[in-house]
Parts: sequence; structure tokens; C-alpha cells
Amino acid sequence: MSKPRKDYEELKSVRFRRFIQGEREISTEVSMEEFQRQMDKEHEEDERLTYNYLNRPNVEMDPQADAKRFAEITGMKRFHKVYVFMAFVLCICIIGLLIYNVAYMPNYGSADAPTNNEVSEKYLEDGQADTGVVNMVTGMILQYRAFDTFGETHVLFIATCAVMILLFLKGKDEENAPHDPELDPEPDMILQTVARFLVPLVMIFGIYILLNGHLSPGGGFSGGAVMGAGLILYNAAFGFTKTGRFFNEKVYDILKVGSLALYAMIITYCLFTGANDIASIVPLGKVGAILSSGLILPINILVGVEVACTMYAFYALFRKGGF
Amino acid sequence: MEIFRFILAALLIAGGLFVAIVACKGMFKFRFVLNRMHAAALCDTLSIMLVLMGLVVACGFNLVSLKLFLIIVFLWFASPVSSHLLALLEVTINEHLHEQCDMTEAKRLCKEKQVDLSEVKKDLAEEEKEAANGK
Amino acid sequence: MNLANAYHVLYIAAIIVLTLLLFFCLIRAIKGPEVTDRIVATNMMGTMIIMIICVLALMLDESYLLDVALIYAMISFLAVVVLTKVYTGVYKEKKQGGKK
Repeated sequence: MSKPRKDYEELKSVRFRRFIQGEREISTEVSMEEFQRQMDKEHEEDERLTYNYLNRPNVEMDPQADAKRFAEITGMKRFHKVYVFMAFVLCICIIGLLIYNVAYMPNYGSADAPTNNEVSEKYLEDGQADTGVVNMVTGMILQYRAFDTFGETHVLFIATCAVMILLFLKGKDEENAPHDPELDPEPDMILQTVARFLVPLVMIFGIYILLNGHLSPGGGFSGGAVMGAGLILYNAAFGFTKTGRFFNEKVYDILKVGSLALYAMIITYCLFTGANDIASIVPLGKVGAILSSGLILPINILVGVEVACTMYAFYALFRKGGF
Repeated sequence: MEIFRFILAALLIAGGLFVAIVACKGMFKFRFVLNRMHAAALCDTLSIMLVLMGLVVACGFNLVSLKLFLIIVFLWFASPVSSHLLALLEVTINEHLHEQCDMTEAKRLCKEKQVDLSEVKKDLAEEEKEAANGK
Repeated sequence: MNLANAYHVLYIAAIIVLTLLLFFCLIRAIKGPEVTDRIVATNMMGTMIIMIICVLALMLDESYLLDVALIYAMISFLAVVVLTKVYTGVYKEKKQGGKK
């Protein structure tokens, strides 16, 4: 080899690059032809392996056995176990951190917490005289902050409209017909017998929660959810045909749109009588009786009907695409 | 007088908790799903009845105890139906049921060959009708 | 110690035992190899939570918590009913898809 070439081949960086690329170390004392021949031999070996790999026979392989072998060779199983353990430890650490943080907050309901200021005191003192309710939360959401609740009911309405646009199937559409009801289990005698007793119980309990919105925790939203659950139970026990006899699309339309429209009319009336000392014609009544606290009871009933229709509509739309 | 009420309530609640511990141990001890469901149904009915009866004794007979009775009545109607539906689901879904428990010969063969029993019955009924019509 | 203290200790012991059992049921719900295991464990957890809420209602002397417990019972029963329907449908659909 000539001297410049020998100096080049003995540089540390060139030898390091050869070492990284996995090529064998060839001594530089040989002549140039011998050197070239040995380099060619190495590259030829590489090319032969690549050619054999690309033209390998196309055997039907078992992907699961392949995946298992791959996992064992590359250590994926060990990594998976370590990963699960570290995920568990991370969750425990985050839970511990959050609990440690909560321990610094003031005690629940203590007198010197920062939330007990004059705002809540005013509502607690004047609330019962202003609104006539015993349950102050209902007084807040249906009298002092009535427009927020109105907006929430609209949100429920819009959500159901959006789901209906996406999922409603009309008439006999052979291609898009859902096959969920065909794959259901056969109607079960035990479930039907028990449902005859339980569904009225659930509906009566829902109506009880609805009507007691201003006396104990409850009100429109939770009562409506329980009534929707009663309708879903009836549907799950007896099927869509029997439910369709009393709750079909016409009934659903009337109930939903009607209740929201009536709610809007009542709120418009409250818009004028809520401020500037204009008295409302509906009396507040005796505190603690069922028929008391002005317009809160009708609003609760309307909101409950709306929420029940929403719950049942979501269930029916996702199962069958219609009522 | 009050001390007897306390002792009775404590006994009933302790009995209910003991049944719940036994049911939880049963969830881990058994090998097959249907056995574990059997243990869980214990907790759903007996354990909650003993605990709620203890609470009824502890608080006297007023509106609160009426509500507790209503919870017991509802759960005693609803929990066995839940167990029945879950057992039905397990029998439908499990493909190795013929190795785990005794089944009739027809059902065992159907499970082994992954055929639905109701379809086999329908095919048999059609064949019988055709044979009767042919005659 | 007087009777009110004794009742308080009894209620707190019941809540602690039930919380431990709740944790074990959660382990079974995570571990269970079948789908049915998980629904059964969740149902049992719901029943234990109903017991805890009822004990709390007597401990804090607030009677409206019993309404919450009754709602919990209804919703957990309804969940089991609807879940079994859906899972049976999914299984049968997989079988039909496999055959075709």
C-alpha cells in the first residue's frame, strides 16, 4: 500500500467507523489488491444474505407464534412486565400526591373556611323568605340562577337533536337496517314477571323525587333520570313493539318540544317579575308544603319530563335507530 | 332496654359483615365462573338483609326504617333476576362449558361442535314436517 | 363509654370492613378472565356501596341519603339487564361474521 493510503486506513476515526458498521479489521501490511479483494468478499457476503432474505419462500406463517418469538427475542415480555409495574407505581404516586394535597384544605364545613363569606350568608338568610323552598340548592338553580338551568335544558335538547340527526333511520332501509334487535336473547319470562312489579315502583319513585325537589335533595334532573331508567327497564324486558304502543315518535315529539316551550314561556314571565319589585301572581305558599314556592314545582315537572325523554331517546337511538 | 337494642343491632350487623367476608373469599377461591356467581349472590341478598335489619333495629320504627324496608324489598326482587341473567349470559358465551360441568348429551355435542342448539331443533322439526308431508 | 359512642364505633368498623371488601372485589373485576366475572364483581361492589351509604345515613342522621341508596340499587340492576343483552348480541354477531 502506498503511504497516504496506509495513513488513512490507520486513522482512529476510520477504524472506529469500520468497527461500528461491523466490518472485520483487515491489516494494512498487505498489498492493495489483497486489501480490495478482502473488502469485496465481505460485501459479497452481505449481498448474498440480502438476496436470500428478499427472495425467501412465501410460507403460511403463524403470526401469533411469530409475535411470541419476537417478544422473547427482543425482550418485549420483560419490558411489558416492567411497564405494568411502573404504571402501577406511578398511579399510586399520583394518588398519594393528590391525597396529600387535599389534607391541606380546610375541614369540611368548618367556620373559618374561605368559602364562608357574606355571599353565601346572604343567600342562606334570605333564601327561604325570597323563594319559599326548604332545599336551598333548588332555590339557587331555579330562582336565583334560573337562566343557567334554562340553558342546561337547552343543551340536553340540542344533544338529543344531534344524536337523532346522526342515528335516526326512517322506514325500511334494507342496507342500513340495524341487526341489534335480531341478535337479542329471547324474551325472558322471569325478567318479564319481575318487571311487571318493578317498573311501576321505579316510575313512582322517580315521580316522588321530582315532586320533592324543593323539600329534600332531588328535583327535575335526578327525578327525570330515574323515570328514564324505568322506561329503559320496560323496554329491555318487553321489547320495542310493546313499548311503541305508548311511547312512539309522536308522543316523544309532543312531550319534548312541548315541555321545553312551556318552560320557555314560564321563564319569560319570570324575566319580567324577577327584578324591579314587580310581584308575580303565583303565591309562595306555606314553607314545607308540597304546593309551595311559586313556579318551582311546574318547572321541576317540565325539566323531569324532558330529561326522561332524553334518556330513553339515547337508549332507543343507539339500539334500534328509532322508536 | 337500650343496651339490648344495641347488642341486637351489633349482632345483626356483625353477621351481615361475616357473610360478606365469606362471599368475598368465595370469589377468589373457586375455579369456574358459575361457582363464583353463586358466592356473589350470597352477598347480594343475605348480607344486605342482615345489615339493613341491624340498622332498622338501631334506629327504631319510623319513616327511615320504612325506607330501609323498601330497599330490602327492591333488592330481594332484583338480585335473583340479575343472577339468572348473568348465568344465561355465561352459558351462551362460554365455549368450554362441557368440560366444566355436567350437561346432557345433546347439549354437550352441540357445545363441542360449536353449533346452536335451537337451530338444530328447528332443523329437526322441519325434517319431521317434510317426512310427515311426504307420507 | 356511653351508648352514642358505641354506636359510632360500630358504624365506623362496619364502613372500614366494607371498604376493604370493596377493594378485593375490584381486584377480581380487574383479574377476571371472563366478561361475566367483571359484571358480577361490579354488581357486588354496588351492593357493598349501598350498605355503606345506608350506614352513613344513620351515622350522620340525614335521611335523604337513603333515596340515593335506592337509586343506586335500581341503576345497578338496570346496568346488568342491559349489559347482558348487549354482550349476547355482540357474541352472536361475532359468530355470524365468522361463519360468513
